[in-house]
Amino acid sequence: MSMQQAKTSGLHSHPIKDKGSFRQSFTQSSFWTALISFITVLVVWEVIVRLFHVRPIILPAPSAIFIEFFTHSSFFLPHAWVTLYEAMLGFLLGMIVAIGLGILLSHSAMLEKFLLPLAVLANVTPIMAIAPLFILWFGFGSLPKILIAAIITFFPMLVNSIAGFRSINENHYEYMQSLFASKKEVFLKLRVPNSLPYLFSAAKTCVSLSVMGAVVGEWTGSTAGLGNVILMASNYMQMNRMFAAIFVLAFMGVSLTQIVRLIELKVLSWHTSIYMHKNR
Amino acid sequence: MAALDKINLSIEQGKFISLLGPSGCGKSTLLRIIGGLVEADSGMVTIGNKTPREAQKSKSFAFVPQSPALFPWRTILQNMYLPHEVNKEAKEHDEHRLDPLHMLKAVGLESVAQHYPGELSGGMQQRVGIARAFSTGAPILLMDEPFSALDEINRENMRYQLLDIWEKHQKTVIFVTHSIREAVLLSDEVVVMSPGKIEQSLQIDLPRPRLDTIEDSKQFQDYVNSIRQIFRKQQ
Repeated sequence: MSMQQAKTSGLHSHPIKDKGSFRQSFTQSSFWTALISFITVLVVWEVIVRLFHVRPIILPAPSAIFIEFFTHSSFFLPHAWVTLYEAMLGFLLGMIVAIGLGILLSHSAMLEKFLLPLAVLANVTPIMAIAPLFILWFGFGSLPKILIAAIITFFPMLVNSIAGFRSINENHYEYMQSLFASKKEVFLKLRVPNSLPYLFSAAKTCVSLSVMGAVVGEWTGSTAGLGNVILMASNYMQMNRMFAAIFVLAFMGVSLTQIVRLIELKVLSWHTSIYMHKNR
Repeated sequence: MAALDKINLSIEQGKFISLLGPSGCGKSTLLRIIGGLVEADSGMVTIGNKTPREAQKSKSFAFVPQSPALFPWRTILQNMYLPHEVNKEAKEHDEHRLDPLHMLKAVGLESVAQHYPGELSGGMQQRVGIARAFSTGAPILLMDEPFSALDEINRENMRYQLLDIWEKHQKTVIFVTHSIREAVLLSDEVVVMSPGKIEQSLQIDLPRPRLDTIEDSKQFQDYVNSIRQIFRKQQ
């Protein structure tokens, strides 16, 4: 980490990098280009549907999908809330357990040897295969969905937290030793801050994965949630409704990832990867 | 095979000592043994009447490694305060502490107190490392080639800046380097090492304060040459 800090400014020059405004402009410009590309796709889609008279049963026009959503928002929003609630509780649960276990495993190579294979096994087993079991065990309510979302979140968070706690800079560690720092001090002042970039990078992926987990759970057996809406709509060939639910899920995924990104920008303002974009 | 053998060295309080030798001669290891970071298989090191680990426990050392150990998530000032926050039971040297902000000022870096290390050049970071070492209150400063990652122009500046601070505060400094000129310029005593052992210990009786004109003096050149001779004889 310290190597990438080598910069060329002279001995007495003062670094004047307005990180704040730069960061803002970076995120803003990426937001606008993303928005433009979304709108382009929707416009092309709309034109194709209208121009070639594509039947709504195959592919509804975006306009029809938006109308469906906004005229029935009182139908969609409670379902969206259920999915969001399941995904978020699952995400938090998976994250907390993963970080807790990560702390434990990073302390003991022995424990890691025993427990990591189990975590890997849980990770490689397709979540779709486990979902029906969870429904049988825990019923049609929110609990099995929360657990599925938690399992999906768990593994990337675990692996990254172990890496984050372990991969401290040797120099930093030696410096702490030279001060006779206790294990606890090394953990709190060195390992924890060191792990944050790792944790955020996993969290950005996991937060949208957790939505997927909730939807998978809802497909398997549920009475509410957007996964349930999609399943029902597909049974009745309600294409507008199905697409509207998909759009809401996509929007949810993007928003959640962005929220994690914003928190990351705030918390990790020191982290080089955040203002490195400037040199691209 | 022993990395270090037959090392016999005594260091006087308040002196500036350099351990000089080629890469891999064990000078960094010796520094780490003194600082309690590496345990010696045999032999004895005492700091006052303490073992290195005991001295470390009472925060008698301020360590300046080759790459400045500044935590990237702490601002410069927060990094300056790190030694104060850790191992708080050791209070013995607290009264000798110097105000971190004041020390930053002394190295001309008070304006970057609120910046993160990643925003500073390598030379500036190393100046922070040195300012921090002097502000901790520790009586013994251990410096492991602190300037070796810097370019020549920065190195020159840094040497005089270090001299300037040291002459004001007169702490014991053990300074590892592979630069003969650097060792002569800075030190009261240069310990010349060859792989695994001490070749010779040389008193440097150049007047202080040492200004940049001293490098042109015949006396300075004589010291440099005599050390060169020691290394040549080995080859």
